[in-house]
Amino acid sequence: MVKFTAEELRKIMDLKHNIRNMSVIAHVDHGKSTLTDSLVAAAGIIAQEVAGDVRMTDTRADEAERGITIKSTGISLYYEMSDEALKNYKGERQGNVYLINLIDSPGHVDFSSEVTAALRITDGALVVVDCVEGVCVQTETVLRQALGERIRPVLTVNKMDRCFLELQVDGEEAYQTFQRVIENANVIMATYEDPLLGDVQVYPEKGTVAFSAGLHGWAFTLTNFAKMYASKFGVDESKMMERLWGENFFDPATRRWTTKNTGSPTCKRGFVQFCYEPIKQIINTCMNDQKDKLWPMLQKLGVTMKSEERELMGKALMKRVMQTWLPASNALLEMMIFHLPSPSKAQRYRVENLYEGPLDDPYANAIRNCDPEGPLMLYVSKMIPASDKGRFFAFGRVFSGKVSTGLKVRIMGPNYVPGERKDLYVKNVQRTVIWMGKKQETVEDVPCGNTVAMVGLDQFITKNATLTNEKEVDAHPIRAMKFSVSPVVRVAVQCKVASDLPKLVEGLKRLAKSDPMVVCTIEESGEHIIAGAGELHLEICLKDLQEDFMGGAEISKSDPVVSFRETVLEKSCRVVMSKSPNKHNRLYMEARPMEDGLAEAIDDGRIGTRDDPKNRAKILSEEFGWDKDLAKKIWCFGPETTGPNMVVDMCKGVQYLNEIKDSVVAGFQWASREGALAEENMRGICFEIRDVVLHADAIHRGGGQVIPTARRVIYASQLTAKPRLLEPVYLVEIQAPEQALGGIYSVLNQKRGHVFEELQRPGTPLYNIKAYLPVIESFGFSSSLRAATSGQAFPQSVFDHWDMIPSDPLESGTQAAQHVAVIRKRKGLKEQITPLSDYEDKL
Amino acid sequence: MDFENYYEISLVADFIIAHNFSRVALQFPDELLKDSRKVVSALRQELHRPLQNSDESRATAKLYVMADTTYGSCCVDEVGAAHVKADCIIHYGHSCLSPTTTIPAFCVFGKAPLKASNCAESLYNYGVKSGKPVLVLFGLEYAHGMPDIKEALNVEAMRFHDSNSGFQIHFANVTNSVITPSASMKLENRHLMLNGEQDNNEDSSQKTDTKFRLGGLGWSLPEGHRTEDYLLFWIGLDNSAFSNFILTFNSCEIVRYDAIEGCLKTDVSQQAKILKRRYYLVEKAKDANMVGILVGTLGVAGYLDMIHQMTELVTRAGKKAYTFLMGKPNPAKLANFPECDVFIYVSCAQTALLDSKEFLAPIITPFEALIAFNRGSQWTGAYSMEFQDVIASQPAEVEDETESRFSFFQGGYVEDFKLQEGKEEKDAVLSLVNVTEKALLLQNKETELLSRRDAKSGAEFFAARSYQGLEIHSSDSFPEPFLIGRTGKASGYEDEQIS
Repeated sequence: MVKFTAEELRKIMDLKHNIRNMSVIAHVDHGKSTLTDSLVAAAGIIAQEVAGDVRMTDTRADEAERGITIKSTGISLYYEMSDEALKNYKGERQGNVYLINLIDSPGHVDFSSEVTAALRITDGALVVVDCVEGVCVQTETVLRQALGERIRPVLTVNKMDRCFLELQVDGEEAYQTFQRVIENANVIMATYEDPLLGDVQVYPEKGTVAFSAGLHGWAFTLTNFAKMYASKFGVDESKMMERLWGENFFDPATRRWTTKNTGSPTCKRGFVQFCYEPIKQIINTCMNDQKDKLWPMLQKLGVTMKSEERELMGKALMKRVMQTWLPASNALLEMMIFHLPSPSKAQRYRVENLYEGPLDDPYANAIRNCDPEGPLMLYVSKMIPASDKGRFFAFGRVFSGKVSTGLKVRIMGPNYVPGERKDLYVKNVQRTVIWMGKKQETVEDVPCGNTVAMVGLDQFITKNATLTNEKEVDAHPIRAMKFSVSPVVRVAVQCKVASDLPKLVEGLKRLAKSDPMVVCTIEESGEHIIAGAGELHLEICLKDLQEDFMGGAEISKSDPVVSFRETVLEKSCRVVMSKSPNKHNRLYMEARPMEDGLAEAIDDGRIGTRDDPKNRAKILSEEFGWDKDLAKKIWCFGPETTGPNMVVDMCKGVQYLNEIKDSVVAGFQWASREGALAEENMRGICFEIRDVVLHADAIHRGGGQVIPTARRVIYASQLTAKPRLLEPVYLVEIQAPEQALGGIYSVLNQKRGHVFEELQRPGTPLYNIKAYLPVIESFGFSSSLRAATSGQAFPQSVFDHWDMIPSDPLESGTQAAQHVAVIRKRKGLKEQITPLSDYEDKL
Repeated sequence: MDFENYYEISLVADFIIAHNFSRVALQFPDELLKDSRKVVSALRQELHRPLQNSDESRATAKLYVMADTTYGSCCVDEVGAAHVKADCIIHYGHSCLSPTTTIPAFCVFGKAPLKASNCAESLYNYGVKSGKPVLVLFGLEYAHGMPDIKEALNVEAMRFHDSNSGFQIHFANVTNSVITPSASMKLENRHLMLNGEQDNNEDSSQKTDTKFRLGGLGWSLPEGHRTEDYLLFWIGLDNSAFSNFILTFNSCEIVRYDAIEGCLKTDVSQQAKILKRRYYLVEKAKDANMVGILVGTLGVAGYLDMIHQMTELVTRAGKKAYTFLMGKPNPAKLANFPECDVFIYVSCAQTALLDSKEFLAPIITPFEALIAFNRGSQWTGAYSMEFQDVIASQPAEVEDETESRFSFFQGGYVEDFKLQEGKEEKDAVLSLVNVTEKALLLQNKETELLSRRDAKSGAEFFAARSYQGLEIHSSDSFPEPFLIGRTGKASGYEDEQIS
């Protein structure tokens, strides 16, 4: 155990080359938290003996109860390397002591936003993959996210113990499995070619892949074994490592290495011969309590056991032996120290991803050089509830400069625009704190390259922010995080006792802070809405809200509600016209669906108000077949000026047209926010202004006349263009054994889902099923799936796309019409859709 | 019902004579305008009827008919009356009995038919069933029927021989059908009302009865009782007067006796929805940068103070206030000012609720504005529609700026930036930084970047518009060629074929 104090830690924080910021990412249940605990054990926070049993990073009661991680948690670890171990280390270093700021993140897809927040403030990622289940959906998602943020990954093939104890596979088969897992991961990584980041694929022979058994607290990389054997074979370590992986075979009978299996019974793959078999042997010996055989073997390996440990039996003995022989912490921490970049190294290339401003200004340079003397640049990625009720720590990473207790900082919120005063505060940092699992330690200051928690800023930061020194008025903020999930499931909450409303408001405010993804809004009808990524996410949010943020005041919640979108199927059947209230002005318009993929392009921000009109015209004409001139006539996007609908001016030679543009735009923003069917947002509709007749007097064609008219004509053109509803659809991935497939299919059928991919995982009896499932049907999906497959299938759902409901919402009795009726009722609107005749006027 | 009685001709004549008014304006709502001629002639006849023992007519008052009021027809139109220099107004029809500023008014509510026995029976049955004491409130047009109902109620109680079964009933009274513009009286009234309305602290300790007033009705309850303890029994239509009551006493149990259909309506969920909707509007108003104050009355006493108070409130909240006088607001009029994110409508209580999907920006009442723009005040469920209450209530001390404002529309903290600006000037160094920051700022040519939501004042909003007025193309100095325009009517010009 390492003696561990805050002062010691603070000292190493200055050694920017000896810091590693890394997150642990994986699919749910692949053993992140358990593995993290064995690392924490090595840093001396908890005793070695309980590692593997206590999930140090799951600090919440419900996390422990459900056995899943919900919030990401940061811990600072201290590790001292031996000179011997460092002799091959080529990079810059300052002494042998290392500081590892580690963030354990949740694996369930509903909490992906926590992963995003964790990735932002780290430079490397330990990707944990279950050796049996292999690379799963969430592994892939988070890996892609990591690479998008320029986070260098290393891999660990986890749950090795399952190979030895459960499956009892032989060496060659195990090798094939591991090889496949690594290959699958590399396939994903290979798509991210980045000259600055270099090759991000992982190779066991280069030491970037570890093999671990989190539960038993042991792990190894090929380096461990290479060291052991190098002297024996008289080759250097790197040579030996290469031999321990891939097509290298050794025949002990001939003592010769070959690149093919010679077919002789004693000829085995290097990995099997020198890594897998010895471990298997030790484990078997321990499990069978063959202590007489065990001690000489251990002696040969140089492992000495304490006398009381020698008394242990069976599994406990095995665990102890393995932990002593191949301690997980050593293997993993050394792998991280060797192969993950230090902040100073990582920030050199990450600055482009991070900084919004010009890349040659002093702030960009300070980030690039990880300069402790430079201006403060700090990104707060999440807020962590403090034990002090209602207060939060602002948790983030210092990219340059130093943050200290009492420092006056400039807080730039997500809506801050340089040069303006919007979303900008100047406040004092009351206290700077470093995180150590369940404990927090106050420190005087924290220099760049480290993660830090701050007290006293929580009343000005909702979810994230960029901090800099008070006087650095020219600094641009650090780029906002991009989440891979969206809050599509909504639930309305209200308090049971009307006078509790202030409590609810306060609670929602805190809830919004505590989670990077959850959105707390209010509906037109005055209902408070909580929106989350999925059912589980919402469940956790509601629980937090009631128990932690509202002091147990009772709330009632509605059934989950899904928001729809309104679109059109065809071009309007005719040009529609609406007259202004004074009858002197007329707008003629048509609606048509946008080309496939255009709405998505607008969503992604490839096409938008802000980009260069020339560039926009180019994309529109090349990808979507627009006329180049027409592309210049886009008036606006909406709703909120950025949404996936637009108004295009198609008239020719109309006088005063430019005068009414602002009014039409205002009417369009309004109408596209609240469509004609059910006042849901519109999506994928292009409105074409065909003709305009205006009164010659400016006073009679003002906003008052044109805005309501524009809104009406937009509704009229929507209603004449075969309006349709769009519903959100999840991509569901399910992993299950063959016998569960029948159950999965029947549940999916019931829920209007359809399977589009079914693959057997090579080498396993497991199937991987991908299906589309309407979000509205997904409530209770997990539980009915569990019931239908006796708990063998576990789904992961993530919002994928909007899907059109084919039936006509204007025809009573159809499914779409029913949805519309439900929404209208909920919103307190008239039951009937306002008829076209109310919007369209005749000459 | 006979005409003279319905319009209370003799009562009005007595009132005019007693006060010796010489010029009297008669204000009719649109629906009663058809009777105005008959009313005038009847009234004139009554006034000019010679006194018993002389040839002189009783009064020589001149009568004027006023119609089509600029604001709500429930309010006394003082400005209109001032045009004819009237010294008194007789107000006919539905009235909100809002106090006037200068001219005394006499209100004739009219007499709507009411089946007293039926009403009393429903009242009795429902009252006994609920077990709560009952407070009877009514539309002013039913005021005439109250004695009948009381009597019928006695009969009802007798019928069941349990007049002492603990069934408590209180009746509200019409406070006064004469509105006298006396400042002292108004103050007193307000005071009474506020004491009565304070839900949680019964500070009416010295009085034996607590007096309440709302919408022209007054009632008193025994000490220590709150209106919330009572079952409110409303006799009348589901109109704005009823909304006023139901929103003000939103935590009471309320039933309505519909006199036209002669039955009880217990479902008031619609009203609860209105209240929630108002809550939404308040939240929305908090996000506004520019606020329009709509003058919705020129008569109700204290409206000017209210407008001033609102302007001050809005400015203090770091927002920009503009005052508009535009008669009855409608969507087209308000949409001429798209820069306003929210409007505050200063009017009498019964015309205060203007909520329609047609409006581009929400319209809120002064009371709601107080909640929205006063940092630290919260929506507690207490509600008031009469702006006089708002005047009287001292704005809560602005909370210490320890927390930023949370917006439910943007899902996070937002700061109203002018609010911040003022404070920071304390620090000399910082203010220097701020000044230099603003001194030379590259003006962005791309005005589009300034979006509607960010504009802080009308001027900024204007600058963000793509069209800013007449565009003169200097390169093209030739006059435009002469063109023949359209001819005909706007509903269909001559070159347009009616399809």
